[in-house]
Amino acid sequence: MTQKALTKGNNRPLRDSRSWYARLPAYVYMLLCVLVALFPLVWVILSSLKTNAQILSSAVSLPTDINFDGYRMALQVSPILRYFFNSVIITLLSTFVNVFLVSMAAYVFSRTRFRGKGLLFSILALSMVVPVTALMQPVYQVITSLGLSDSLPGLILVYVALNMPLTLLIMRATFAGLPASLEEAAYIDGAGFMYTYLRVMLPVAKGGLASAAVMAFLNSWNEFTFALVLTKSPAVRTLPLSLSYFTSQFSFNYTALFAAITMAVIPSILVFALFQEQVSQSLVIGAVKG
Amino acid sequence: MKKVLSLLLTAVMLLAAVPALAEITLDYPTFQVGVNTAAPVIAQLVEEFNAQHAGQIAIKVEEIPGDANYIEKIKVLLASNDLPPVIYGAGYNLLDLALAKELLVDLTEYVDTDPEWKALYNDKAFEVNSRDGKVYGSSSEGNTIGYFYNKELFEKAGLAGPAKTWEEFFAQLDTLKAAGITPVSMDTADSAWVTSLWMGAMIATSGEEGKAFMAQMMPDNYNTPEVIAALTNIQKMFMEYTTLDAVGGKYENAANAFLSGQTAMIANGPWMIGDFSDTTKAPEGFSDKVGVAIYPEGFAYDEPIQGYLVTKQDDPAVVEAAVEMVKFFTGAHAQTVALEKQGMLPASTAVEITQAAKDNFPLLAEFVEALEGARIRTATTQATMYPNLLDIMSAELPNLANGSMTPEQFAQALTDGAAKNK
Amino acid sequence: MQRRQAGWIALFLLPTVALFLTIYAVPLGMTLFTSLFDYRLFPSRMEFVGLANYVQLFARDAQFHRALVSNLIWIVLHTTVHIAIGTILALILYKKPRGWKAVRVIYMIPSIISNAAVAMIFVNIYNPSYGVINSFLKSVGLAGMQRNWLYDPATSFISITIIWTLFSGYNTTLILSQALSLDDSVIEAAKVDGASRLQQDFLIVLPLVKHMLATTMIMAATYMLQMFDLIYLTTRGGPGVTTTNLPLMLYKTAMTENNYGYANTMGVVVIALGVLCMTLINKLLNTRED
Repeated sequence: MTQKALTKGNNRPLRDSRSWYARLPAYVYMLLCVLVALFPLVWVILSSLKTNAQILSSAVSLPTDINFDGYRMALQVSPILRYFFNSVIITLLSTFVNVFLVSMAAYVFSRTRFRGKGLLFSILALSMVVPVTALMQPVYQVITSLGLSDSLPGLILVYVALNMPLTLLIMRATFAGLPASLEEAAYIDGAGFMYTYLRVMLPVAKGGLASAAVMAFLNSWNEFTFALVLTKSPAVRTLPLSLSYFTSQFSFNYTALFAAITMAVIPSILVFALFQEQVSQSLVIGAVKG
Repeated sequence: MKKVLSLLLTAVMLLAAVPALAEITLDYPTFQVGVNTAAPVIAQLVEEFNAQHAGQIAIKVEEIPGDANYIEKIKVLLASNDLPPVIYGAGYNLLDLALAKELLVDLTEYVDTDPEWKALYNDKAFEVNSRDGKVYGSSSEGNTIGYFYNKELFEKAGLAGPAKTWEEFFAQLDTLKAAGITPVSMDTADSAWVTSLWMGAMIATSGEEGKAFMAQMMPDNYNTPEVIAALTNIQKMFMEYTTLDAVGGKYENAANAFLSGQTAMIANGPWMIGDFSDTTKAPEGFSDKVGVAIYPEGFAYDEPIQGYLVTKQDDPAVVEAAVEMVKFFTGAHAQTVALEKQGMLPASTAVEITQAAKDNFPLLAEFVEALEGARIRTATTQATMYPNLLDIMSAELPNLANGSMTPEQFAQALTDGAAKNK
Repeated sequence: MQRRQAGWIALFLLPTVALFLTIYAVPLGMTLFTSLFDYRLFPSRMEFVGLANYVQLFARDAQFHRALVSNLIWIVLHTTVHIAIGTILALILYKKPRGWKAVRVIYMIPSIISNAAVAMIFVNIYNPSYGVINSFLKSVGLAGMQRNWLYDPATSFISITIIWTLFSGYNTTLILSQALSLDDSVIEAAKVDGASRLQQDFLIVLPLVKHMLATTMIMAATYMLQMFDLIYLTTRGGPGVTTTNLPLMLYKTAMTENNYGYANTMGVVVIALGVLCMTLINKLLNTRED
C-alpha cells in the first residue's frame, strides 16, 4: 500500500519533502502502529480503575467512578516497591556487564580472523535455542554450587548469560555493518588493538550498543522463571514475581493486578523514552562516520 | 603459613559450633500468600509458632505467589535433592513425587506416639497421607465441597430449592433456561475446576462402580460407562445451560457469572463465601441471595487435602524442628484458626465447628447442616487424577463442548494421557 | 600484526566463552545425553534406550508431528510477516517524518509490558461474551460473525498468531538504529540515476542493513522456538492440540508427565531446528562470512 505512493517521489534527498498526500500512506501506517501499540497500555490503565466485576463483564467499557483502591490494594498485598528497586539494580547491572563483555567477543567475531571462528560462533549461538525447561535445574545447581543462590550476583550472572547470544548477534551485525576503512586508518596511525576497539569502533557502534542494551534490559526486566527458582528472600526478588500475588487458584483481584502492572510499566516506559533520546543525541554528536 | 592455617582451622571450628547453639531456621516456601484465601491463617500460625519457639526454632517464610509457581519451584528443588524441610502436598500430590525419590521422612512413629496428634486422623486422612502403611503427611484442610445457588433466580423461575436427584436437576436447568436465566457457571481453563466438580458428582452417584472409580487414586481407565455418561451430561450442559464464555473460561469468569447474578448455580467450596459480600466482585446485598447445597443423590466432596510433608535433611535437629512445625500447623488449634478466620473446614472430624465460625460465616453453618444429609462422600477428581490429565481436560473440553469430540473420544483422550505415566 | 592480535582475541573471547561454559554447556550436554535414556522422575528410573525416544517421536507420536508442523508454520510467519511489519515502520521512520521519535518509543511499549499481562489482555479481547471483537461485530450488525476466537478450533491458531505478530517494536528499533548509523554518502554513492523511492528504500537501504535484518530474523525464529508463556496463559495448547508448539509439549512432558528423557529428545529437535534456521537465514541473506 505504501509502496505505490512512494514510487511517485524521484531520487529525492534523505528527508521527505514531498507533498502531504504523497506522504499520507506512511502516516497512516505510523498511526496504525501507534494505535496497535497503545491499546494494551490503555486497556491496562483503564482496568486498574474498574472493579473486578466490571473487568469481567465488559472489556471495552470506561470505569464508572474513578477510584484508586486497586493501587492501594496492590501496594498492600505485594511488596511491589521493594521488588521494583531490586529489579532496577539487577537489570541495570546485568545489562551493563552483558553489553560490555559480549560486545568484545562480537567485535572479534566480526572483525578478525582466527582458526575455528565459525565453529566457535555456532556453538555459542546454540545457547539461543536451549529450551528454558532444560536450563532450569542445571542452572539452579550451578548457581547453588557457586554459593550464589538467593543473591544479587547469582541472578545478575544468569541474566548476563541469558542475554549473551542475543547481544552477540546484534553486536556482530553492528560491527559487520561498519566500513573496513575505519580500522585500517586507525592501524596506519599506529593505534593498538585495544585503542582501536575502544576509541574508534565502539563510538561508531553506539546505535547497536544501545539496541542490544534495550533488548537485554527488557528481557531481564520481565524474566520470571529464573527469578522464581534462584531466589527466596525479599531482598533479591524482582518485579515480575510481585505480579503473581493477585491471582491464586480460587481467588483473584484483577483491579489490583492491573494497578500493579501499571505501576510496573509506566516508569519503564519513561526510562526507555529518556534512554532513546539520549541515544539518538549521542548518535548525532558522536558520529565519526566514514 | 602455619599460623594462618591454624587460625583458619579455629575459625572453621567456631563456625561449625555456632549452629548448635543458635536457633534452627526452617525455610518454608508457601503459595498461601497474597490473595490466596489461606494467607492470613498461615501468617498467624507462623507468628504464633515463632513466638512459642523463640530462641529454638524460627520459620522463615519464602513467599511464592501462585500455586503453579510453587509446584514448578518444588520440582526443581526435588530434582536437585534440595527440598526445604517442610512442603505442602496440597492438591498436587507432591507426596508420591517426593517419595519416588525417597526424600520423605516417615512420620508413623511420631504420630503413633502422640495420642493427641493421632486422634486427629480419621480413616480418610490416613488414606490420603499414607503409602504402604506408613504415614508421610498430616492434613489440616478438609476439601468439603457442594454448590451454591442464587435463591432469587430460583424463585423467579418458580423453583423451590436444590434438586434431590439428577433428573430433577436437569429439569431445573430446563426451567431456568425457559425463564430466561443462564442456569449454571462452567469453565474449561486452568484444569476446569468448576466443570470437573459437576462431572465427579455425577460419576460418584452413578452406582457402586462409579463410587469405586472416585475412590481410586490415579485411575488409568476412563473408558467406563459411568465416566462416559457423566461426560455426556457435561457436554449437554456446555451446549445448552451455560454462558457463552464458559468454553475457554477461567474460574474467574465462572465465578463472575455467578457473582453478577448472571447464572443461577456454581459448584465450589466454602472458601468462596467471602466473595459474596465483597462489593468489588458482587453487588451489595448479594450474600443474602445465596443458598448452599450438596449435590443430587446426597453427594458431597469430603476428603482431607493431602497435608504437610517432612523431607529428609542432613541435620537431624532440623527434622525434629520440622516435625514440630507440622504438628503445630495441622493441630486442632491451627484447624480452628483456619475455620474461624477464613471459613476453611477442618480436615479432622474431631475438630468442632465452633459457634464463632458459624457466626462469622452463616452460609458455612448452612452448609455444615446440609452435609449431614450426604450419603456418598469422595475426593475430587482433580486430587486423584494424574497431574498431566489436568492439562488434557483444559485442552480437550472445548472440543467436547462444541461437539467436535464425542464423550467416548474424550474418555479415550484421558485414558491415553494416563498411560503416559507408566 | 596477526600474532600480536592472538592474545587480544583470546582475551576478548574469554568472558563470553566462560559464560557459555558455566550456564549453557552442562544443560546442552545433559539434553543430548539424557535424550538416549528412559529417564523419569515418577516412577523414578533411568535406563539407556539408545535412539528409542527418537523413533517414538518421529515414527509414532502424532501430537509431536502436529506440534512440529505448527511450530514450523509459526517460524515462517514470524520471520516474514512479523519482521516485515517492523521493517516497513523502520524504513518510514528512517526518513524522519514529523513525530518519528515518539512513534519509535510508542511502538516499543508492548514489548515493555510483560507477556503475562499481554496474555490476559488478549484473553479479554477475544472473550466471546464481553470481548472487544465480538462487541464490535455486534455493534456493526455482524453478530452472525461472532465466535469464541481462542477456543474454536477453526480460529484458535490464527487468534494466537496475531498476539505475537503485531508487536514488532524490537525489529523496528534494531533496523532503525542500523539504518541511522549509515553514512549519507554511502547512500548517495549507491544511488542509481533514475532510481525511484521504492528502489531507494528497498534496493539501497535494505541491503546495507542486511546483517541486522538477518539478526532480527534469527531472533524471530528462535523466539518461536522458545515461545511458551503466551500460549500457556491463553489456550494452553488447545483446543485439542491446535495451538501446541514444541516448547509447550516439552514443558508438559517434563513438568506434568515427569518424563525427562522424552522431553529432552524434543529439546534436541528444538536445538537442531534452531541451528537449521540460523544457517538458512544466513545463507539466504548471504551474511555467513564477511
